[in-house]
Amino acid sequence: MTKKIIDIDHLAKLARLELTDEEKETLAPQLENILAYVSKLQEVDTSHVPSTASTTNLVNVWREDDVIVCEAAERESAIRSFPDSVGTALKVPGIFDDRTE
Amino acid sequence: MFTIEEAKQKLAGKEISSEELVNDCISKIESGDGEIHAFLEVFKKDAIAAARTIDKQRVAGEELPELAGIPVALKDNMLVQGHVASGGSQILEHHVASYDATVTRKLKNAGAIILGRLNMDDAAMGSSTETSHYGQTRNPWNLSKVPGGSSGGPAAAVAAGFVPASFGSDTGGSIRQPAALCGVVGLKPTYGRVSRHGLIALSSSLDVIGPMTQTVADAATLLRVVEGADPKDSTSQNPSETSVAELLKLTDIRGLKIGIPKEYFISGMDPEVEARVREVITLLESHGASVEEITLPHTPYALETYYIIQPAEASSNLARYDGMRYSMRATGERLEDVYLKTRGEGFGREVKRRIMLGTFVLSAGYADAYYKKALAIRQLLRQDVDAALSRVDVILTPTSPSVAWPLGEKFNDPIAMYLADIFTVTANLTGHPALSVPCGFAHDLPVGVQFIGRHFDEDTLFRVGHFYQSITDWHKNSPL
Repeated sequence: MTKKIIDIDHLAKLARLELTDEEKETLAPQLENILAYVSKLQEVDTSHVPSTASTTNLVNVWREDDVIVCEAAERESAIRSFPDSVGTALKVPGIFDDRTE
Repeated sequence: MFTIEEAKQKLAGKEISSEELVNDCISKIESGDGEIHAFLEVFKKDAIAAARTIDKQRVAGEELPELAGIPVALKDNMLVQGHVASGGSQILEHHVASYDATVTRKLKNAGAIILGRLNMDDAAMGSSTETSHYGQTRNPWNLSKVPGGSSGGPAAAVAAGFVPASFGSDTGGSIRQPAALCGVVGLKPTYGRVSRHGLIALSSSLDVIGPMTQTVADAATLLRVVEGADPKDSTSQNPSETSVAELLKLTDIRGLKIGIPKEYFISGMDPEVEARVREVITLLESHGASVEEITLPHTPYALETYYIIQPAEASSNLARYDGMRYSMRATGERLEDVYLKTRGEGFGREVKRRIMLGTFVLSAGYADAYYKKALAIRQLLRQDVDAALSRVDVILTPTSPSVAWPLGEKFNDPIAMYLADIFTVTANLTGHPALSVPCGFAHDLPVGVQFIGRHFDEDTLFRVGHFYQSITDWHKNSPL
């Protein structure tokens, strides 16, 4: 196998995933294997190929920036599915550690 | 179980009522789904109520829409207002949909009865339905085998005769591969033909919704109902119109040009599967189709390309499950801890694997070598298929290199699992429509043949698939 390229702790931090030590031990070699597998793509010369994800030739689909009010039942149902709320507002944890910032 | 075509006739002729049809489905599910586990939930009360309404309208002589009173079931990643939509994930276990997906709304408007939600791999990541947080689904043909995935529930439900038809989603083969492994018809429409509004997103440049049915004719009927441009999915487009009735009148394939890509008949494929697919070629040729070998030279890179692009997009799409708006929320000291714990606890292991992989291939220093490289090869794959389809009308391949494998066999080997999608990922990467049709048995398990067509030319797929089913009986076999 080629040299290890994955820094599992750094990657988990970027992905905002808390992983157990056991998960890290399993994942690290699996990810290295998958990367070794997909590295076959480097054989292909793509210097003259455009990089695009489009397959059906659509470009820039525009619409008016209109506010469309949803039905009350839909709104109430969305509010009910919030993990936490105050009245009709979504409640989230504080963003700043120091509230005086 | 009746096909949609048969159910329509029997309902219209008042031979059965919709309530009887729905009750028949429910009793079959209650007696048979304990061991198969295709359904995560049957919407019993809602379904019976909807059936009674339609029956009353029918008795009153009202004009009824096309699918009036016919039950269909949906993969658990399509929203049905007021019902849980979990996407097979723990993180959305208690997520109740506040609106209908466009597909759901169109089905309801056509009078269809949404019978329930069907099992799937966790966040649609998997090829066997074993990663579902809610337990595995078993193959109705052999309960010790996987049904394929990620739409294993929708495939098994139709194969077991629990419901006339279902809808799945296909990102790398998730409709066609389980359709092949369970012996049903599965259509991945052209990218953009069916709106994804209300589909829990996996990889947005690849995801499509499509029907899973007993017959090609039914797949054509259902596509007509759900297709079309939708302002809520900016990638959706209006296809050209041919009525299903017109389409199915074309029961002649003389002169149809079928291309056989040599790269799809590889060593390592089950020889019995290959034999069944070659029998299809011989049969279609004997009925006047012209068959020629073609080449899709970048095929050896398709799966590798897919397993860069798909995790990259998934890692981005799944960022929304941060515990803030509609998923479970773990408790933590700081905001960062809430993110880490919610996602660490809520995602299953295949999902974590792909989020990590996707994050890596998009990360600074690696995005050019992996993600951008894959995007370029994606265009080469598309050029291959477009070039081939300028010479032939349709491309014929196996859907899967093997029949259904034993439960657990590939569960701990990600690459072996990924290889199950080797013949299906290309159509997602290139946007082309593809149809899997049952074409016989190998080792007493179903085999599927795949037809790939030009963008928005599902009609040719329906024509050849319907013709094939009119001269064969494979689709009439039932495991029960």
